[in-house]
Amino acid sequence: MRTCPVFAVASGLALFAALSGAAPVWAHHSFGATFDANKPVTITGVLTKVQWTNPHSHLYLDVKEKDGAVVAWVFEGYPSVVLYRTGWSRDGTIKIGDTLTVAGWRARDDSPFALGREVTLPSGKHLFFGPLSGTGEGAAVAPGN
Amino acid sequence: MSGVSPCLTGAAGVVAVVIPLLVLVAPGVAQTSPGNAALPPHAATPRTPDGRVDLNGVYQSSPNRGEWDPSAPGQGGGPQNEPPSLLPSARQRTQELLNRRSIDDPTAYCLPSAGPRMTGVILFPIQFVQTPGQIVIIYEYFNAVRIIPTDGRPHPDDAEPTYQGDSVGRWDGDTLVVDVNNFKEGNWLAAGIVSSDKLHITERYTRIDKDQLNYEAVIEDPELLAKPWTIRRTLMLREGVRVREYVCAENNLDPARYQEYLKRPSLFMRSPDQAQPR
Repeated sequence: MRTCPVFAVASGLALFAALSGAAPVWAHHSFGATFDANKPVTITGVLTKVQWTNPHSHLYLDVKEKDGAVVAWVFEGYPSVVLYRTGWSRDGTIKIGDTLTVAGWRARDDSPFALGREVTLPSGKHLFFGPLSGTGEGAAVAPGN
Repeated sequence: MSGVSPCLTGAAGVVAVVIPLLVLVAPGVAQTSPGNAALPPHAATPRTPDGRVDLNGVYQSSPNRGEWDPSAPGQGGGPQNEPPSLLPSARQRTQELLNRRSIDDPTAYCLPSAGPRMTGVILFPIQFVQTPGQIVIIYEYFNAVRIIPTDGRPHPDDAEPTYQGDSVGRWDGDTLVVDVNNFKEGNWLAAGIVSSDKLHITERYTRIDKDQLNYEAVIEDPELLAKPWTIRRTLMLREGVRVREYVCAENNLDPARYQEYLKRPSLFMRSPDQAQPR
């Protein structure tokens, strides 16, 4: 089983942010309404489609299962305006047919859909593609009075 | 599924180490505030020909000077100094909304929020355009724009409630003070913290040097808060960064997904043991 140290640190920081009431990194919508921080996944597949859009970008990956079946996964991430400032280039970073590894958190309904936090490119380079777990959903307990 | 490998083991181990460390350093983080004496000297605050402080520029909510801060986790724009003092009824509502993991947040439907929240989002730049009688704030987030007259005019008589309210500004020495009222009811000031139409915000913008624009918002709402709630952020100048077009309605898949999730609340609701009032 592959472990993801960078990813794990990111998870810790997200939890810290949630606990400390720090300001939101990104607040288009709540992480927890859709994704489950207890379901981290690291998935490798072949890129079939890219949506370079706002308020989210999406990567579509064909992932081969043990029995040979192919499952089409979708990874949600930052809006395109943010990706430009996170090291991505619309035309130069990835291309259809690339094999990518994406680390993120799976949707609560266990569909092949996840928030993609970090992408490993064919070159081995890592880029952030989406926010941390917990972003935008708020603390578990309302502030006191 | 050979392509899928959970990495919970590594994550959990590092989280166990990271969390205590972060809790230990948290007070230090909170003190990373404007005017830290340890920082090197900074360029002077720019001024317009008539001697006013010049706020023109593109900024990012971030405690760090220099280049664009692409992925700083958690801390957007410096310390959030105090939690709100919610009225009991408001606190109950906030808890209910948090138990729903903020699935009801209007931003998921591409609706903007009031200044304090818009100013705290670290991922999107904010541009100030200043003329002698008017300041315009352009938020890349939601392509939102606030037009703030500074020529002494009062709030208009025919203002109707809006997401960002009606703003009028004045200079108090070197600080721009903006009075904001006429908000729509239901503004999410933060996750689960929802205002009434009595919301009133007093913002203070102080550019203490070329790089750093301090933001303070005093939030009043007699139906939400037991006492005024002050939020502070730091906006850092980001030379060379431009505000891009962010049309949230372009590909917003969240409402359709939420409609499905709302049919199965057990999917996303916090369980009671995760959300006990203190």
